[in-house]
Order: sequence, then C-alpha cells, then structure tokens
Amino acid sequence: MSREVAYFPGCSLKTIDRAYDVSTRLVARDLGLGLVEVEDYACCGAGELKGNGINSYYLPARNLGHLLRQGQVDVMVSCNVCYHELSRAAYAWTHQAQIGEQINDMLRAAGEPPMTQSASVRNTLDYLINHVGLEAISRRVVRPLTGLRVAPYYGCLYHRPQAMVSSVQVAGEHPEHPHFMHDVLRTLGAQVIAHPAETTCCGGKNLLSDEEIAGRLTGRILSQAKAAGAEVLSLMCPKCAGGLDALQPRAVKAVGEGARLPVVYYTQLMAIAFGHSPEASGLREMESGGLTVIQRLMRQLASAAPV
Amino acid sequence: MAKGAGIVERSLVRDADILEHENFVLDGIDVSGRWNTMLKSRVHASRDLQAWDAVRQNLVATSIDRCIQCGMCTAGCTVAHEIPDFNPRQFIYWVRTGRTEELKQQANVVWRCVGCYVCTHHCPKGVNTAEVIETIGQWLATVVPNRMDPAFHANHHAYRRQLARRGRLSLPMLQATFLRSLGRQHELWSPEMQKTVLKMLWDGRAFKALAMGRPRRWRKNRRHVAAQA
Repeated sequence: MSREVAYFPGCSLKTIDRAYDVSTRLVARDLGLGLVEVEDYACCGAGELKGNGINSYYLPARNLGHLLRQGQVDVMVSCNVCYHELSRAAYAWTHQAQIGEQINDMLRAAGEPPMTQSASVRNTLDYLINHVGLEAISRRVVRPLTGLRVAPYYGCLYHRPQAMVSSVQVAGEHPEHPHFMHDVLRTLGAQVIAHPAETTCCGGKNLLSDEEIAGRLTGRILSQAKAAGAEVLSLMCPKCAGGLDALQPRAVKAVGEGARLPVVYYTQLMAIAFGHSPEASGLREMESGGLTVIQRLMRQLASAAPV
Repeated sequence: MAKGAGIVERSLVRDADILEHENFVLDGIDVSGRWNTMLKSRVHASRDLQAWDAVRQNLVATSIDRCIQCGMCTAGCTVAHEIPDFNPRQFIYWVRTGRTEELKQQANVVWRCVGCYVCTHHCPKGVNTAEVIETIGQWLATVVPNRMDPAFHANHHAYRRQLARRGRLSLPMLQATFLRSLGRQHELWSPEMQKTVLKMLWDGRAFKALAMGRPRRWRKNRRHVAAQA
C-alpha cells in the first residue's frame, strides 16, 4: 500500500448498507489507498441531535478525538450524514472558540480523548478526485461503462451548508451545481445524464416519521432523473439509499411508475469499471434492480467487444 | 354556507380568525346577512418571548437574531414546496415578535423540516436557519407535545433510546422500535419490506445489525446523548 488514510464507515455502512462500504474498500484498494478504520467509533449523531445545542457536537467530536489519538488527521468518510456531522464538529472546534472549549470539557468529563487539533474531514468522493486524481482513476478503468446512462445524485449534506467550509468547498466544488461525481462517472466512460434534481433533498431525515412527504420527495428525484433519460441513478449517501432504493415502492406510490429507477452507489460503478464482478461490488444488496442494469450492460459490452 | 364564504382570498384567512353572526346589530343598524362577517383584530398586544429566549440560549441557534425576514429560506425550502404551511421565515418572525400562540398552532408542521440546509445555504445574513428551525421544533416538543404527530415522538424516542443505550444505530432495530411504539409492527412484514427483510436475513446483514456492539465505556457518554439542549 502506498498511502494510508483513516476511514470512518459509520453505522449504516457497518450493517445494512454494506454494499457502499464494500465497494468503497474495493475502489480504495485498487487506487493504492490503505484504509485504517477509526477505532471504537460511535454514531455520528445522524442529524438527530441537532436541536440539542452544545450536546449536538458531542458524538462527532468524540469520533474525531479517537481519530486524532490514533495519530491521524485526515479521515475519509463515505456516508454524507457522517461527513456532514464530522465536518460540522471540526468546523465548530476550529472556528468557534467558545464551542470548541465546551466540546473538550464534555469529552474530558466522559474520559474520552479530547480534540487536540483541527481534523481534516474528507468526503470519499472529494478524496478520490483531489488526492488520488482523475488520471489515476482513469488508469484503473479496465471495463469502461460505455453507453450506460447514469444520473448523478448528490443529496443535501455533501455540499451544504457552504458556510461550513467542509472539504468539498475547500476543493472548489460548485456550491449550487456540484460536479465531482459527474467528473468521476465521465472518467469511467459512462454517459452522464444531467437532471434538475441532482441536489434536491430526499427527505431522509423523516423517512420513518413523515412517510408521505418522504415518498413525494424521493419520487420527485427519481422521476426527474428518469425523465431526463437515465437508466440508473448514482448516489453517495446511505440515508438517501433508504428512501430511493429500499423504499422506492413508496416513491412509486406517491408519484407513479415514472419513479421506478434502479439506484446504485457511485463506488459500485467505479468497482465495476475497475473490473470487479457485480456480486463483489455488492450489487446484489441493492433493492431497486441495480444488479439487472449492470448485468445487461456487461452483456452489451461483451457482445460489442472485438473477437 | 361555508364559514367566511364571502371572503375574497379565503385561503389566506384562518377559520379561527373569522367571526360570523346570525343576526347582528351594530350601533343600532341591522347588519344581518353578508355584511356580518368580521375578522378578528390583528393588533398584536401581548408579546410572549419564551420561545425566543429558549432559542437564543441554544448556542447553535443564536444566529436567529441576524434574520432580516427576506424570505430566501422559504423560497428555496424543500418542505415548503410540499406543505404550504411550512414557512421558516414565518416561524422565525413568530419567535422574534412573540407570537408564540401562532407558533404553537403550527407545532405539527414545524418538525417536518428535513434538515437539507438549503435555507442556511441561501441566507444572505448568515442565519443557520436549518438548525434554528430544528431548535424551534425541539422547543415545541417540550411545550406542546400533544399537538405533534405520534410518529414524530416515536421517531424521536427510537433514535434517542438507541443512541443512549448502544451508541450506534442499527437501522433495522430502529425501524422495529419505531413501528412497535405506534402499534404498527405488522408493517415490517408488508410486501414492500418483506423482500428486504428476508434478503438481509439471508446475506447476514440482519445478524450484523444485531451484533454491532457498543463503544467502550459507553455508560459515561450517555448523558450527552440523552440530554435536551
């Protein structure tokens, strides 16, 4: 391994969204990254403790404290919710002195390692593009996704809020029209389908408690991507996957058949392009037909290949 | 005739603000019929600032005081496009002008914020609107819990309980707790869920979710998770 970087998978990737974790690890290994998990992790807070004032920083700061104790400063995060929570805590610790002190007081009182310096929280997508580089990615592509019509979907917490100066903003991501996923998908040889719902919210926070609105919001995203001509939606957040993939029947119920669209993680598309099998990329664990789309693509590629 | 049927732009007026009389004599003049429909006075005489005090005491929500009521938050709001009554600019206005009663009447709407941060992103004055609205919602949950949907409380408690006990989230267990506390556990076996549940049992993810463990010495961390602001 040429390079080591800390990695925070979080609760979802450790359990039901294993596909995202597995494909992130495959891609990282191919690109020469050694992932070192943050030890003794806790939940990032998952956005559920936001109304709790200073306590809302506790869980993400605890994770960053453990990261720093491991001697790491950079941490790569795949889940958008974890990425947002950790970035939020890192920002508050660095730029809001009063909050920073209170965070460390809480951590010390609980016997946890305090934050000793500003941690650098990197989104996996940003890390792959800006640390590894599109050129290195394109060198690994052995099975270009030629002809696959992919709609990129970023969700909310990847690039918002802008004032939080998270790693994607430092890297120069466009705050209204992010394009890093577009860039990666193009590098994989896919046909990128732009659509109006690339950054609209899936309503994931109230996926359980406000089913009706969550159904309409996910339905809106899926139908807009499909109407733009996509055959598969590429996402980067396990919370979005909950509504767009596993609970897609709700979206279909809310807005009709136009919302029926296979959904996969962008890391899975990368793994496929890097030559891994659909099964190894975790496509069997997707609920909305991602496996079928990729198998069809692979048949097309095989029949088009020169004998 | 429906209440206030004669009012132009009827949808903008709340039922509770319309006064109608069978026979109404005003200064000796009989104004029965169409002309006896009155609107309650909009003079705002009693400012109730308890919501404002609560929100400002919360470190993450102090930015509420920078609001200039421009409405960029509501203009871009994800939820406002789906629920016309969801209006973050108006919620902030009610808090800061002491219209606590109006705010409480919308308690079942305020919590529906999805936390997408479009409002915070668009705010020209640096209000962290998303976290302000979340804070207002949490305050309402402590003062008028009964006006909020049982699903809100079920979701809230399922998350808090699991975070406090285990320090990690097991989403299948979260969903089970949520549905059980609403008496809807049969939905775990609904056609839309059944396929996923069986698959997770088959490929071992269900087992992983049950056996995810908890962080070391978790007991000492608990109070920060269970605490209110």
